[in-house]
Amino acid sequence: MIADMREALEAVLGSISEPVLLPGGASKEAWAVDAGGQRLLVRRAGGGVIHRHTLSLQDEFEVLRAAHEAGVMVPQPLLYIADLDGREAFVMERIAGETIGRRIVQRPELAAARTVLPRQLAEQLAAIHAIPQERVPFLRRADFERMMDELDDVGEPHPAIELGLWWLREHRPPPREPLVAHGDFRIGNVAVDEHGLVGVLDWEFAHLDDPARDLAFGLVRAWRFGRDDLRLGGIGEAGPYLERYNELTGFGVRPEELDYWELAGNVAWAIGCLTQAQRHLSGQERSVELAILGRLGAEVEYEICHLLEKRGVA
Amino acid sequence: MSERPTPQELAEAIEEFLAGEILPTLDDHRLRFRLLVALNAVGIVRRELTKLPPEDDGERRELAARIRAGDVAAGTLARVKADVEARLRIASPHYLQRYGDE
Repeated sequence: MIADMREALEAVLGSISEPVLLPGGASKEAWAVDAGGQRLLVRRAGGGVIHRHTLSLQDEFEVLRAAHEAGVMVPQPLLYIADLDGREAFVMERIAGETIGRRIVQRPELAAARTVLPRQLAEQLAAIHAIPQERVPFLRRADFERMMDELDDVGEPHPAIELGLWWLREHRPPPREPLVAHGDFRIGNVAVDEHGLVGVLDWEFAHLDDPARDLAFGLVRAWRFGRDDLRLGGIGEAGPYLERYNELTGFGVRPEELDYWELAGNVAWAIGCLTQAQRHLSGQERSVELAILGRLGAEVEYEICHLLEKRGVA
Repeated sequence: MSERPTPQELAEAIEEFLAGEILPTLDDHRLRFRLLVALNAVGIVRRELTKLPPEDDGERRELAARIRAGDVAAGTLARVKADVEARLRIASPHYLQRYGDE
């Protein structure tokens, strides 16, 4: 496998170091390789596993290019390869930085980074939301009803998720004009060094959406990595993040909107846990990690109940 | 029908992981032998579990359908939360402690 990959890559990149397959899911492979003195990362499609509602690698590469052109801090996209040993792939710069959420939240040497991260995250998101839509015309609009369809596809009864969906239907804020959204903007999908943010990663969920929804996704408790008291991804309060975002965009997103979309993010992730488990159960991608999400989704359902209580639901 | 993955399905996932991903990496004969024994044990658990009756989720299904229809009577959240708590005591018992002072 490694020899084949090396041969396929050398046909495109010239002489390279031994490719190293990085740990990760089966739906997408990530290979670390060096060529011509450059540190590269090759993202390649997995063996026939297609995840619903994610971008093709070709579209993801285009989004990355658009983000890079717009000045978003991303690994430089270098080359799309339609057929790399039988599957599509692209090559981008391999940036140095911590990406493991738990370490970003807890490592002492990243303490200084954590103090600047909330404002930096807001700045990046403001830049993302300013990417011209015509630059990425293939992006699809988010559809709120899709959450219900996905839950119905799973076919299990989950009253807590239903209650969250019900509250969201009843309290919908006035919709904002859909903009280019990252779709998974949170600690766990960014790279950080001791000075702060160095890159925004994982663009496969990019779509067009209410920007407040994208802004609130990083508040979901599942991504606080042991620091539940710090609402923004275990690294800071939501206030300075929201303030900086509003300062840059002039959108005037209200704290109540963040609350609303934080709940929506939890509902989406609770359903996401079930659909991930379905990938295992259906045989699409057998994995203990996916399987157990079917049960750990109860944690997210508990958070949904907690947030509903805070909003005065009885 | 029981919550998914069912206990049997979880045991099966563990067996696949141990046999498919761990066993091929082991060179130590004693470890290989003990892993095979452990796989046997998990297999026993899985087959034992098939004898249990499936959990009746009729009540949960009815509650979910009522909420979907917009019929949310007072006390619904408390009932829903108690059900989630019961599931968490199996799936992730330590998680509830994280809400200590909130």
